[in-house]
Amino acid sequence: MRALRWAIAAALLIAVPWIVAAAVPGQQRYVLHVLIFTVLYGALALSYDLVVGHVGSLSLAHPAFFGIGAYTAALFATEARWPFAAALAAGIAMAGLVALVMGVPMFRLTEHSFAMGTLGFALVTQIVATNWVDFTRGPLCVTGIPKPQLGSFRIATLPAFYWLGLATVGLVGLLYHGLTTFRLGRAFHAVRDNEMLASAASIDPLKYRMIAFVIGGAVAGGVGTLYVSYVGVLCPGELAVSLSVNLLVMLFLGGVGSLRGVLVGAAAFTALPEILRMAPTWRMVIYGLLLLIIVIRAPDGLEGVIRRRSARWRRPSSSGA
Amino acid sequence: MSDLLEQLVHGLTLGSLYAMVATGLALMFGVVRLVNFAHGEFYMLGGYAFWYAYAELGLPYPVAGLAAAAAMGVFGLAYERAVIRTILARTWHVQLIATLATSITLTNLAIIVFGTQPKEVPTTLSSAIADIGGVRMAWQRPLVLAAAVIIFAGLEWFVTRAKLGKAMRAMSQNREACAVVGVDVQHVALATFGISAALAGGAAALVSPLFNIFPDVGALLTLKAFAAVIVGGFGYVKGAIAAAFLIGLAESLAAGYISYAYKDAIAFVVMVLVLLVRPQGLFGRRIGI
Amino acid sequence: MALFEVRGLTKRFLGVTAVDAVDVSIEAGELVSLIGPNGSGKTTLFNCVTGYLAPDAGRVLLHGRDVTGVAAHRIARLGVGRTFQLVSVFPRLSALENLLTFLQQHQEENVLARLVRAPRVRRYEAAAVERAMMLLDSVGLGARADAPAGSLSYGQRKLLSFAAALMPDPELVLLDEPAAAVNPTMINQMKEQIRGLHRQGKTVLLVEHNMDVVMDLSQRVIVLDHGQKIAEGRPEAVRRDPKVIEAYFGR
Repeated sequence: MRALRWAIAAALLIAVPWIVAAAVPGQQRYVLHVLIFTVLYGALALSYDLVVGHVGSLSLAHPAFFGIGAYTAALFATEARWPFAAALAAGIAMAGLVALVMGVPMFRLTEHSFAMGTLGFALVTQIVATNWVDFTRGPLCVTGIPKPQLGSFRIATLPAFYWLGLATVGLVGLLYHGLTTFRLGRAFHAVRDNEMLASAASIDPLKYRMIAFVIGGAVAGGVGTLYVSYVGVLCPGELAVSLSVNLLVMLFLGGVGSLRGVLVGAAAFTALPEILRMAPTWRMVIYGLLLLIIVIRAPDGLEGVIRRRSARWRRPSSSGA
Repeated sequence: MSDLLEQLVHGLTLGSLYAMVATGLALMFGVVRLVNFAHGEFYMLGGYAFWYAYAELGLPYPVAGLAAAAAMGVFGLAYERAVIRTILARTWHVQLIATLATSITLTNLAIIVFGTQPKEVPTTLSSAIADIGGVRMAWQRPLVLAAAVIIFAGLEWFVTRAKLGKAMRAMSQNREACAVVGVDVQHVALATFGISAALAGGAAALVSPLFNIFPDVGALLTLKAFAAVIVGGFGYVKGAIAAAFLIGLAESLAAGYISYAYKDAIAFVVMVLVLLVRPQGLFGRRIGI
Repeated sequence: MALFEVRGLTKRFLGVTAVDAVDVSIEAGELVSLIGPNGSGKTTLFNCVTGYLAPDAGRVLLHGRDVTGVAAHRIARLGVGRTFQLVSVFPRLSALENLLTFLQQHQEENVLARLVRAPRVRRYEAAAVERAMMLLDSVGLGARADAPAGSLSYGQRKLLSFAAALMPDPELVLLDEPAAAVNPTMINQMKEQIRGLHRQGKTVLLVEHNMDVVMDLSQRVIVLDHGQKIAEGRPEAVRRDPKVIEAYFGR
């Protein structure tokens, strides 16, 4: 039964471009554009949740990995004329490598210092991107980033990008699921929930934090690559720290540590303002307030609300745990 | 030579600013063990308050400055009641995200209300150039340093002599004991926030005539102040002050002799280096402010 | 060669010497208690020898091998199990999952085999569940195997953390105040459990304040005061030692 439900959901998701064309013919370009952003953000949010939700490290460095992957791929594609697959691999590898190198000193910091250290790293990365004009073009931006070419397929239309994004979030979701269940997931969660006890259980907290951090960073770099090949332009503003805030909103709105929750959060975050037609600054004010209220009142997000409701449904006679 | 001296003067100005902001952060961490990611916004709002009092209302400089500090003091009290009180008992993750969310909200509200164009607030002292020991500088700069020194001396008197200040110090050393002997823990926490915010507001009034006010100014400032707090030994106010001056001087010298564009990275570099080499901070782990 | 040895261990905090040149030597199969007034350095010593704190001086030897300053997770892997003074479980996991977490690092199995769920892997996992249930039953928590650990009572969590520490079958077991803050029935249960460990041939070191438990169980007692070892010997002898009496009641 579950397989059937998955198959139907997958079919519906794949059919979206046609559904959109039929439902809102005049707006279909705009709607597809929003959906492309939604799936890309979904993948990015999942990669961030690995670090924040599953291993419990409140890293604010994710925008840096997103940006490093984006810049690596963009520069290889425009300067060295690398094909898309190679540029993508380079973006992922570079982001992962930087995560590995930065992770070692960062994880020697505890709690607040770790958060601040990662925040500082993100800020410095943005400063470098803005000022190393010879290399990154700084505020002039890298332009003319080519569209992806996969073999004989050129991904140039909106539906094609949507399917590429959908495949990405599907793959990332599978990876996320694999990493957060079974023994690896248990090790992650042990480190998150009680680091001292995890050590007593022979689980090396640093090793598992690094695994989540490096994989999360590498995936973020990959999403960065896809993003710039869609938008075609890359400016240092993409690495802004506010991306961390956006990601935190997605995670906490939907439900930290839950695949479904994070995807719902990403969808709500990306689709909602488009529906509400908010100006960017007002949007951020609302997000800030939303995040504040959610983290205080309902840190489990929508997923937590749903779980509590359905738990009440399933056990009308409370067995008193 | 005078070039170096000018850099040093600038470094002392930066150091005074960072020290005043870092002191507030260290006080909050020392007394209630909370890191306030929105602290830079106290400075930013203080700057706008000062601009409004001085440039828009035309109040004389000292009055406008005190008004800005007082306004931020009140804001700090309100912030403690509205936001901080609800997250004091929660994990640091919640505290971090909540204060980060507040920071984003305040920054964007400032953009909506004041616009993104920086506000310039020149005063008589920031325009008048002095010649001290062969170095040319605005009179505002020695004023900033002198004011900072007076404020720190006043703070030291406060935590050693005044009842509320002694309670703050006691709470930073042993919170449980304080509750037992009847110290009003809530009251002290409230006062700490009021004082920290007022410090930031005062700093803004002192420094805004030299540097402009814009909505994003808080973000980098929070990071640098935090760097000072960490390097100084997490909650140890004198350590934070010393570290802040160190960072200010390093930044100024780096801007002058290495690269202006990357000067903001200096604080981060100093912080990470100290944390790796001496994680307990330059002055060692101390208990209490 | 002693199973477990501590030589001249010293740990200082902020000018206070919490542990002062302490020597301890424990043979395989012994049941030893570590006692002393509050603040005498017992838990600090525990934390130094299990890798949670780095000592300022001295050495820790396991089977003659120097493990001073080795990280906690690696010491655990070498066959040292411990409980914590403040009862520690994984609250979001079930009791069963808590125990399984303690065994997984000891079941080295390459990633590929695990990915395809090779029959060998499945057998290991079944064996792990079997062992976990056996331990849960032996502490009386069999019925609560699927309950989230966070929902258990304090005493139940204490028993759970005890069972979890035993899951990887450690040869050396360090128990930090197993009888603290639990009712008398539970204390008896704990004593039985500890005696059981001794009968199995495990080496046990306990930190304890409850003198009845100490006198009842221990073959040997070590007394710390202000970070220094002030007495050592059979329980009856230590109890009458004037230095010990003074440490507890004097001044």
